Amino acid sequence: MRILLIIFLFLVSCEKLEEVFVEEDLLQRPQAKRCADCHAQIYEEWKESRHYRAWKSENFRRESENYGKVKCLSCHAPHQVDPEKKPVLRAEFREDGVHCVACHFKEETRSMHGPLKVWSPPHPSTQDLDYTKSEFCAGCHRETYKEWKLAKVRKSCQDCHMPSLGKKDLIQKFPFYLFHLAKRRTSHRFPAQKAKPEDIEVHLKGKELILVNVGVPHNLPTADQGDPKLYLIAQILYGDGKKRTLRKLLSPQSKTALQYRVPYHLRIPDGDVKEVRVKIMRKFAWSDEKETLKELTLRTPSP
Amino acid sequence: MRYRALITALAVIAGVSFSAEKVILKKPPESLKKYYPPASKNYEFISAMHTMSTAFYGINLNINEGNWEGAKRWAQELKKTYLKVSKMVPEWKSYFKPQLADNLVKAVSSKNVDRVIGASKKLGQTCAKCHQDNEIAVKLVYHFPSFETIKIEDPVEFMEYKTGKYMEKLTNSMKALKIYLLQGEGDKAQEAGMNFVERARQLRSMCSKCHTNKLSEEVIVGKEFEKALNDLENLLSGDKPDRDRVFKLLGKVGASCTKCHNVHLIPQVVKEAFEK
Ligand code: HEC
Ligand code: HEC
Ligand code: HEC
Ligand code: HEC
Ligand code: HEC
Ligand code: HEC
Ligand code: HEC
Ligand code: HEC
Repeated sequence: MRILLIIFLFLVSCEKLEEVFVEEDLLQRPQAKRCADCHAQIYEEWKESRHYRAWKSENFRRESENYGKVKCLSCHAPHQVDPEKKPVLRAEFREDGVHCVACHFKEETRSMHGPLKVWSPPHPSTQDLDYTKSEFCAGCHRETYKEWKLAKVRKSCQDCHMPSLGKKDLIQKFPFYLFHLAKRRTSHRFPAQKAKPEDIEVHLKGKELILVNVGVPHNLPTADQGDPKLYLIAQILYGDGKKRTLRKLLSPQSKTALQYRVPYHLRIPDGDVKEVRVKIMRKFAWSDEKETLKELTLRTPSP
Repeated sequence: MRYRALITALAVIAGVSFSAEKVILKKPPESLKKYYPPASKNYEFISAMHTMSTAFYGINLNINEGNWEGAKRWAQELKKTYLKVSKMVPEWKSYFKPQLADNLVKAVSSKNVDRVIGASKKLGQTCAKCHQDNEIAVKLVYHFPSFETIKIEDPVEFMEYKTGKYMEKLTNSMKALKIYLLQGEGDKAQEAGMNFVERARQLRSMCSKCHTNKLSEEVIVGKEFEKALNDLENLLSGDKPDRDRVFKLLGKVGASCTKCHNVHLIPQVVKEAFEK
């Protein structure tokens, strides 16, 4: 270890380090797994994200008619991501979906852009604070971005969908990691998250059941081209023992999703309502599984 | 004068419009598949068509400018592509008359405008015959996306259905609403009507499977459609909904159904027939 350090210091003193350690192919738009040679952890996270599946997704393959619908392809295999710009389709490694090079490499500077100030001998880097802003995601998540803007909240997409992992090494490759300090790391799993029960307020008012999304600062659920859904099931029990079940399918594509802080009204059929059992479930666009978000029983106060 | 005749003759040939007593829709042959996605991404067949059509115009343009050598090169290009295309789809072999392509090259070589017109017309007729028999069907099968692969989730049953089946459910709940109203069965009309409203609202979820621009959606299932559905829902929620008003609102909703059918239904029906 010490010998390495000495060699290293020797190199620093006599040559421009950048030129010694630079790995040319990193600027030739390689596959994501090439970045894993150093950024192993980030790569493992990304591989669990939906961005990794954006091209391979069976749903996407089917709905794009085997990649035949040309206008569908660019956001699922982008060439370069720029804030608020719809990307163009990439020529190489489309199966990588939304990958490292697309999000970080810029033709203009021929370097890796990112949120940090780093010293990265293998490839040039450029600090770029756009990476911490919602606008970065807006070229593809266009509808969600519009909804988020209307919500006027402070938190960015990244705050919730690239949560901080605390300070960690950006690279795992020996010996390079020895020369770098741990830095702020953000989750490249891009978790979709799950609304908490308190994010959705539910109450009875007169003849109506009212739902309000008070916690998720975009539609619940939200989408551009996917078709995620919320299932609302209300079982109503009347004084005379009669029962009725109301079902609602709420989705962004049918324009029935729960907008942020905009109450959703469900009319309850007339009668002497005793109690209402409410269950709310969600389903992601890419999954068949329904998960429960909230379950509660409301009773009408006795007069 | 002569040149003018040439231009018109060639213009007719290079285009693909035709007039006819009947329009034929024949199922495209199996072997055409390999020139379209998913089998191929290069659209080899239609590219060859563009090459031939450009070559025809190349002959025309050069003769007009007195450049017979240039015209000859395009005639040779046309012949070469014509021969190539004649081998692409064996089922269509009999549409091609290679001799006529050769005659056109010879006519251009002779620098005789009348011969060029004659030879062009003859060759052009072989193009036109095949287009009349096949072009529309090919366009529908290979250029129009399919509704067959699209599923809509039924908001009443929470089950997914293909487009055709969904339309049936949607229509049946509309018919049930009308029938119960006419029979004076209020509760049943209300339930059927609510199902219809929910099903109609869910129609919009199909659009994003083919369209990436929300404006396309607005044109057909936009504000007016939403309003008609909301009004219908409110009307049905009250007791004893006014029958005439319900029918009037159904008419408004129906205008959107018709618009969407006008744009999408015919291609889909033809495609489906061929796919069966
Ligand atoms: C180049 C276009 C593009 C950019 C830029 C982009 N995304 Fe995505 N994102 C996608 C696509 C496409 C999918 C869907 C992939 C799939 O499931 O097939 C997706 C999926 C997601 C999902 C998962 C949604 C789900 O249903 O599970 C989250 C969360 C997400 N993106 C967050 C972000 C955030 C945060 C940013 C900005 C830092 C961002 N994305 C930038 C294209 C993009
Ligand atoms: C040979 C090792 C190596 C490889 C391979 C590598 N990097 Fe890096 N990268 C580094 C080092 C070293 C740093 C700086 C680390 C530090 O300062 O802690 C870095 C930093 C970064 C940063 C942070 C920039 C910033 O300003 O925030 C980004 C983004 C990045 N790399 C992207 C990539 C991408 C994309 C690839 C694949 C094309 C890749 N890297 C491949 C070594 C590598
Ligand atoms: C959808 C776009 C997207 C993809 C794909 C993506 N990143 Fe990032 N990356 C970002 C954003 C945005 C940030 C900044 C997040 C923040 O600071 O809020 C970031 C931050 C980073 C950083 C700085 C440290 C950190 O964790 O914040 C590095 C290094 C990095 N990415 C490398 C990679 C590598 C390697 C890959 C591929 C395995 C990759 N990224 C894939 C968008 C992306
Ligand atoms: C305050 C935190 C927060 C912010 C800020 C936020 N989201 Fe979300 N997002 C969530 C939660 C929670 C969910 C999960 C909703 C659920 O239970 O389905 C979610 C879900 C999603 C989904 C998955 C589809 C869905 O609705 O289930 C996507 C895509 C998404 N968000 C993108 C974005 C983008 C893009 C931005 C920025 C414009 C953003 N989000 C900002 C909290 C947030
Ligand atoms: C403007 C960028 C963009 C374009 C163009 C685009 N998508 Fe997407 N797509 C996204 C984003 C962002 C997501 C993730 C959030 C969501 O669900 O909308 C996504 C998600 C999806 C999903 C759900 C995730 C999955 O893998 O199951 C499907 C299916 C899909 N898109 C199909 C299509 C189809 C079909 C087209 C063309 C009609 C298309 N997309 C065009 C950005 C785009
Ligand atoms: C054996 C049948 C056949 C013959 C012979 C034929 N075509 Fe075609 N042509 C087609 C079909 C089928 C299409 C539709 C292809 C498509 O839309 O993918 C077509 C389309 C075209 C188009 C329209 C392309 C477009 O973008 O819509 C042109 C122009 C054309 N042909 C020119 C010609 C010319 C010129 C000739 C004769 C020299 C010719 N074709 C001979 C079958 C034929
Ligand atoms: C199976 C695919 C498919 C689906 C699903 C679909 N369309 Fe279309 N639509 C097309 C095609 C193909 C065209 C011709 C123009 C084109 O290629 O974009 C078209 C054209 C249109 C046009 C005229 C041109 C334009 O884009 O403005 C409108 C408006 C339209 N569709 C609205 C809708 C609406 C509203 C829905 C949902 C209720 C819908 N479409 C669902 C395939 C589809
Ligand atoms: C995408 C736009 C679209 C909208 C909006 C739409 N339809 Fe359809 N409809 C179709 C398509 C495509 C088919 C053909 C489906 C098939 O055959 O697979 C169809 C078929 C039908 C059929 C049976 C086929 C036939 O020959 O007529 C009925 C009935 C029908 N729709 C009723 C309705 C009603 C009622 C509405 C409005 C409440 C409606 N549709 C709205 C696209 C649409």
